[in-house]
Amino acid sequence: MDDIIIIKDLIFKYDERFIFNRFNLNIRKGSFTSIIGPNGCGKSTLVKIILGLIKTDSYLNIDQLILGNDNIKDIRKRIGVVFENPDNQFVAETVMDDIAFSLENMKFKKQDIRDRIEKYTKYLGIFDLLEREPHRLSGGEKQLVALASALIIEPKILILDEALTMVDTELKEKTYKLLQELHQNHNITIINVTHDLEDSLYGEDIVVIDQGQVVLKGPKELVLKEEKILSNIGLDLPFMASLSLKLKYYDLVDDLILDMDEMVDVLWK
Amino acid sequence: MEIKFDSVYYTYNQRTPLNKKVLNNLNVEFKKDKVNGIIGKSGSGKTTMIELINALLVPTSGKVSINKFINKNGKKIKDVNKLRRQVGLVFQFPEEQFFNKTVKKELLFGIKYLNYQTKNSDKRCSDALKMVGLDDSYLDRNPFTLSSGEKRKVAIASILIFNPKVIILDEPTIGLDSISKNNLIKLIKMLKNKYHKTIIIVSHDVDMLHQICDYIYVINNGEVVMEGTKYEVFSNPDELTKYGIKCPKIMEFSNKVLAKKNIKIGYRDDIMDLIKDVYRHVK
Repeated sequence: MDDIIIIKDLIFKYDERFIFNRFNLNIRKGSFTSIIGPNGCGKSTLVKIILGLIKTDSYLNIDQLILGNDNIKDIRKRIGVVFENPDNQFVAETVMDDIAFSLENMKFKKQDIRDRIEKYTKYLGIFDLLEREPHRLSGGEKQLVALASALIIEPKILILDEALTMVDTELKEKTYKLLQELHQNHNITIINVTHDLEDSLYGEDIVVIDQGQVVLKGPKELVLKEEKILSNIGLDLPFMASLSLKLKYYDLVDDLILDMDEMVDVLWK
Repeated sequence: MEIKFDSVYYTYNQRTPLNKKVLNNLNVEFKKDKVNGIIGKSGSGKTTMIELINALLVPTSGKVSINKFINKNGKKIKDVNKLRRQVGLVFQFPEEQFFNKTVKKELLFGIKYLNYQTKNSDKRCSDALKMVGLDDSYLDRNPFTLSSGEKRKVAIASILIFNPKVIILDEPTIGLDSISKNNLIKLIKMLKNKYHKTIIIVSHDVDMLHQICDYIYVINNGEVVMEGTKYEVFSNPDELTKYGIKCPKIMEFSNKVLAKKNIKIGYRDDIMDLIKDVYRHVK
């Protein structure tokens, strides 16, 4: 399968300190990849580099375009991004205007904008918020509005940078399931940047970054077995992975079981 | 220190077309010297509640009693700075409010702003940092260059400098990795056990609340709909689902075994204890 993002020998320094020193990463086209790492490992810097918000001389290929001044606008049209604190992203006085902002900039017709707003806000269950002021919403509502703003451009790549941290657990699960659906039905590549391994269960692949290097990379079922490496860099295993590995040690299960219903059925056959 | 809500209503943008009722006859009394957890769906009124305790908002009707301070409509609290020194509020993303060049200046800002009279402010700064596990070497550091966990600790220290009786934390673990989160959990437990603070935490991180809270209050549509010890509240998965809340994973597992297999394995705080229970039941 093609790679939609190729990063080769990335070098980036901040205050004379290397954040990335010859960092390499490929992201499969159409994959749902979680990028995990402790605070300060360079995850958010990486997102900003991919978006061209932080400039480097290194080679980044995004959807067959080489990142540089000439095509930065084209690249950004293909990427929807949601940052952790949506307050920093809001520009308008109502949710409706805020979500419409990017499409207006892309010179979409008014009716098309209205149709897409209706589609995505209904999809995310926030249609009722359209007339509200973004700054008056709760943290979780703000994050869903920011997600709608990212989805509305129908990007090829959706990058979530700690984007659902304030959404409550049940709604978060529902939102992740909607994203899985979008990913499967429309072949969107999703990159979920998070410090919480629990959230990686919704994706397929996991990339673990520490001190500017890829420490582990692969399907979640393999990466989550590396308890020692993960705990050495301060990452707690998701509850089900931790439970599985401990039960495996006592010969109660044979392998990693990430689904709770399946686990109960296996234990009490 | 008593913190009590009596028939509190709160409406944003009152008397405008954008009005939104957030609190709806809310009655609750938080437990003194305990860790009290508030959970509820996004928009259920959690943050509004804590802003009322700190008198950043005034109820539309009803009253909030914070010891002898009464926050009610039409009656202005005389010494609101005194209330805010006694009830320290740490906002969501507190580190985004930093603007001083050193940690020391950041810590002293509150003292100046809330007109706090103290003879030995240097010692206050050191003591506050010590409480959050940071030493004096941080005093001259630039707060913007600290890690997220350290920033969060400095933000909490800037509240502890007043030695408040009550500490309110709004989504304190957001954005923190496991190490910083576990450190924060230890810090909150110590503030309760060693310094006997009353702590109120607003969060949707049910796994964290399960680890540190003594009491849990579930808010839905501006009302308290469930309250009790964490075991009382989290052993009711069906009712919690009605309010859009999931159980902590470790209790969800016990609840699932009971629901699917009709086997009571009981509730545990530690995963190793749960493994022992499972082993006993399965083998």
